Amino acid sequence: MSEISPALHRPLPAAAATAPGRRRRGRLGVEIRQHASARLQAAALAGGLAAGIACACAILVGAGVGLADLAQEFVVSILTSPESLAAVLIQAAPLAIVGLGAAFAFRVRFWNIGLEGQMIIGAVLATAVSLADLGPEPVRLILMACAAALGGAAWMLAPVLLRLRIRLNEIISTLLLNYVALNLLLHLLYGPWRDPATSFPNSALFDASERLAEIGWQNLNWGLPLALALVLAGAWLVGGSRVGFLMRVAGDNPRMGRALGLPMTGTVLAATLLSGALAGMAGFVICAGAEHRLTQSFATGYGFSGILIAFLARNTPLGVLVAASLVGVLFVAGQSLQVFYQIPGSAVQLIQAVIVLCVAASDFFVRHRLRWIA
Amino acid sequence: MLIDFLVNWLAAVPEFAVPFALAALGLLVIEKAGVLSLGAEGFMLVGALAGIGAILGLGDHPAIALAAAAAAGAALSLLFSLLVVTLRVNQVIAGLGLVFLAQGLTGLVGTTQGWVNRPIGGLSALSFGPLSELPVVGPILFRHDAVVYLTVPVFALAAWILGRSMVGLRLRAVGDGPDAADAAGVSIGLMRFGATAAGAALVGLAGGYLSVGIARIWIEGMSGGRGWIAIALVIFARWQPWRALAGAVLFGAIEALIPRVAAAGIQVPQYFVGMIPYLATLGVMIWTCTRSGSRSLEPRALGLAHAREDR
Repeated sequence: MSEISPALHRPLPAAAATAPGRRRRGRLGVEIRQHASARLQAAALAGGLAAGIACACAILVGAGVGLADLAQEFVVSILTSPESLAAVLIQAAPLAIVGLGAAFAFRVRFWNIGLEGQMIIGAVLATAVSLADLGPEPVRLILMACAAALGGAAWMLAPVLLRLRIRLNEIISTLLLNYVALNLLLHLLYGPWRDPATSFPNSALFDASERLAEIGWQNLNWGLPLALALVLAGAWLVGGSRVGFLMRVAGDNPRMGRALGLPMTGTVLAATLLSGALAGMAGFVICAGAEHRLTQSFATGYGFSGILIAFLARNTPLGVLVAASLVGVLFVAGQSLQVFYQIPGSAVQLIQAVIVLCVAASDFFVRHRLRWIA
Repeated sequence: MLIDFLVNWLAAVPEFAVPFALAALGLLVIEKAGVLSLGAEGFMLVGALAGIGAILGLGDHPAIALAAAAAAGAALSLLFSLLVVTLRVNQVIAGLGLVFLAQGLTGLVGTTQGWVNRPIGGLSALSFGPLSELPVVGPILFRHDAVVYLTVPVFALAAWILGRSMVGLRLRAVGDGPDAADAAGVSIGLMRFGATAAGAALVGLAGGYLSVGIARIWIEGMSGGRGWIAIALVIFARWQPWRALAGAVLFGAIEALIPRVAAAGIQVPQYFVGMIPYLATLGVMIWTCTRSGSRSLEPRALGLAHAREDR
């Protein structure tokens, strides 16, 4: 490289993207912002969300839904009709649990992209308990929940051990295991577990004692209180416990943690296994709470939604609750758009992706300062 | 019987290997410039849909369809580059977001345009006259479509550009030491935008080949994780083009074997066979990670945004 020396003494243009103008009109400069106030961060998040929602509206209007109909489906009906509100809350419960799971993994810088696979294995083990009628009936549901948590954690075990032992990239390993889990699910549903009553490819209906009971308002079931309890426990774990502190060290500066003699490996292991267990629980809540059986596609889309929820919530448990409710609205509104306006379900996924990308882009303004340089 | 099985299998390998090969090569180009591209699956999907869309909309011209597929991949990559190069978004988040964006977008467009489950003619095999009729060699070597035969020259070209040309030197400099490359007057932004667009065009082409050359139909999410397998292949290849081609052939052989196992009357549950590509990828990754010491050309600035003010 022969050009090195003269270029070194050139005055630094501030951003690679802005070419210095011939006529001295000034240009837009980019600086790294050292400290961003909480207000600025909130404003950027709100701006990113607004931009994402605007893009989403544009997409849906382009697909043939009127603006007034959008307002009706997304806002009015959910605020005015208790049935819709209940549908959103039922939807939000597993979303909050899977989002909490994603948040725990992300807190220790472990990219768990395998939430869907962990949900599937959790639900498969819970269904196995139901089909085998394990244990006495009064505790069957608890057994199913434990089996689901164990299954989710077990599905996480290989990726985390491989990452810790041989530094195998967890993004790819967790993602590949999603496909393995899905194939296992299809094998069970098209093979030994096919519903004998209808011969459809889903499991037999759970008995009444194997379903999450309704709590008495609309058709809400115990999934929501369970999600709330898990989120509160998660908030305590993150904010009020030694484990939460260790997770913060493992996420921000694991080398320092190791130098201080803190159990960094154990922390990563605990946080990721917890992440898998929570994903398994989310699978259980969908199957035992809403579907009452194991179906082929019960987990489809939840993996990405969990990542989105954790990302929007900045990995905070209470933020997960808020983000899960918003995504719940999107899911429910998406279902009625599908029925009444023939908008395919993939639109919901597209909207979530657009929102993620807009919010991620808005972070630029948190970390950088734009200035007009004359 | 065994010979028939082997010939049948080996003859199918190239068609299955090409999507992996082109996608892995595209990713390799992108990653050589220091951009971690988890969006491969997304580039493949838009390529696959664009290929089918071009054929259904413009008539049965496979060449135009493949060009449309490459263009679609490159177009989507501009959004990705805008995010990770200009706005310095975390490359993992942007890549994942892009995959889901492409899944949603292709699902929506494919359904609203009515392109789902409409069989097309697609690519046909070239004929080499008497050569194609040879007993064993004919089906294995001389009965493939043009893309199969073009893949090897494309690899040679890419390997030469990356390893021997000035552009390749600058590209690798941007991926290995962006600060030094910047000081030497190489435009980091331009190099990364360009490399990502070129690589994404190859990944899009791989997707287009999948729909126009192999499946000859559009099915939602039809890339089925091949983009992720290609990402693993690049790691397995230690960022060396020819090793990526070898890995692609290995995975093409595995994928070509799957439908033939059942056809040969071997009783293995279908969905367990379906797990094989993913488990094989995992196995290959484990093998790569445990074998330390061999030369890896992993770009040192892979996944890091370049901010000149940050030094």
